[in-house]
Amino acid sequence: MIDAIKLEWLKIRNYRVFWILLGMYLLALTIIAAGGVFFLEWLKSLGADFNGIDPTIVPIYDFPDIWQNMTYLGSFVKILLAFVVIISVNNDITYNTLRQNIVDGISKKKYLLSKLIFIIVLAGISTLFLFFTGMITGTIYSHVWEGRFIFDEMEFLGAYFFDIIVYCSLAFLLSLIIKKAGFVIVVLFLYTMMFEPVASAILTNAPYFKDSFWSGLVAFFPIQSLNNLITVPFGRYVFMEIQDNIPLKTIAIASGWLVFYLTMIITILSKRDLK
Amino acid sequence: MATTLTINNLTKKFGRLTAVDKLSLTIESGQIFGILGPNGSGKTTTLGMILDVVAPTDGHYSWFNNTPNEEARKKIGSILESPCFYPYLTAVQNLKITAHIKQCGTSNIEEVLKQVNLYERRNDKFKTYSLGMKQRLSIAAALLSNPPVLILDEPTNGLDPEGIAEVRDLITRVAQQGKTIIMASHLLDEVQKVCTHFCVLRKGVKIHEGLVKETLEELNKVEISADFDQEQLTNILYDFAGTEEIKANGNGALLVTLKPGFTSHEINSHCFDNHVILKRLLTQTNTLEKEFLKILKEHD
Repeated sequence: MIDAIKLEWLKIRNYRVFWILLGMYLLALTIIAAGGVFFLEWLKSLGADFNGIDPTIVPIYDFPDIWQNMTYLGSFVKILLAFVVIISVNNDITYNTLRQNIVDGISKKKYLLSKLIFIIVLAGISTLFLFFTGMITGTIYSHVWEGRFIFDEMEFLGAYFFDIIVYCSLAFLLSLIIKKAGFVIVVLFLYTMMFEPVASAILTNAPYFKDSFWSGLVAFFPIQSLNNLITVPFGRYVFMEIQDNIPLKTIAIASGWLVFYLTMIITILSKRDLK
Repeated sequence: MATTLTINNLTKKFGRLTAVDKLSLTIESGQIFGILGPNGSGKTTTLGMILDVVAPTDGHYSWFNNTPNEEARKKIGSILESPCFYPYLTAVQNLKITAHIKQCGTSNIEEVLKQVNLYERRNDKFKTYSLGMKQRLSIAAALLSNPPVLILDEPTNGLDPEGIAEVRDLITRVAQQGKTIIMASHLLDEVQKVCTHFCVLRKGVKIHEGLVKETLEELNKVEISADFDQEQLTNILYDFAGTEEIKANGNGALLVTLKPGFTSHEINSHCFDNHVILKRLLTQTNTLEKEFLKILKEHD
């Protein structure tokens, strides 16, 4: 276990690209998650209002709502973290060091373990980072101060952690299949940001599919099932009913995908000849 | 003698093509074993299978009498066709990864880098190295854990004459330490110079296996010429008890095949006794190359 972590650490410790990407990710996370006040002020300067309410007094950073708000926003930039995973896996394929590692004496199982732990550590860093950013931002802006509110709804941090692990596992799998980092990044980006959202939108809204069996499938899509873990929280500020917990059904679907990705990764790794 | 590697009916199919076909081999410790064969005969695939990077279609192999493969590989230094390292890391950083996987500690790193003449460049990134330096780094990586077994796949491929000499020198040095070396090559001259045992693969099938020394001794031909009537000389030579066959060589010389156990020394003294002074007496040694081509021809 420790060996597996150290192997990955030796590979990335002096790899500048990794640190730059990780830095960019954390910066993006801070901006998107904690920059809401500036966004609301910008809305105000445009003259926007929510049913007559000044946008800047919308309590997006109040405990415990802050956790759902921040994890929802934070999950938008997880693709940057997936890039880190893609580059790490594809380096081993391009430089043929995956083969070299195995020839030198680790099993494919241990190689897999080292990459999975790498993903878990990335997700852990990211979740902890969001937790501290949330605590700091909350301390500055929150109107609610009781302990039971501060630590209420922390399950959203857990969902966020899980979300990243599943998404990065997808990135790992795509890297093994496609083998070229640049191409994997393009494919993952287009799929996440365009293909699936467009398909989902068509199935949910087009008159032909709407309310049919097909629109029910959307919840089972790889990206949508992750998005459903933490749903859009902002409806609550315009007095709409929102989903403020994590539905078991989405956890089950996302877990299904995780199992599928891992099974595929194991199958590919054990069957593929490394030349 | 301890067995280093046993291969049993190992087979690899790539679709319709059978790259390695029911290969069985036993390699004892201390042997320098050459796997010969033309390009595409399954040498690299075989090495890939015994190193667990190519999945066998059938058959099995075992290292050091059933040591788990992963543990066994830690005791094997491998130099494969192309050196594989992280280009963005320095020689030392790359070797730290190797040391970590081989669980052999990092204290040896400076020592092996000195051995392969890379010590001065140890803190430069791998991507700045020339091909020869890259190849030398893979030698350093292979020697790092002081392994009892070395696997070399076309070790001199793409090297300049100096690099080739260095690798040969290394193989000889390592062999003297009593290590086992398994080496795939199509350079027969190389195998002849360093190997003790060899086998020949052709289209994935093992068509010959033997000792290098025995194979080279098999042939015992002497080329003879003298300022003498050729017919008479032939008759004199036929009187010699050790003569098996005599052929005219075309350039005035005779090619005498000796029976086993006879040497050029005896044929010389026989001629001398018959008042023939030889102008030229040349013992022809067999080369692995000739033998190799013969073996391949026999199996065509």
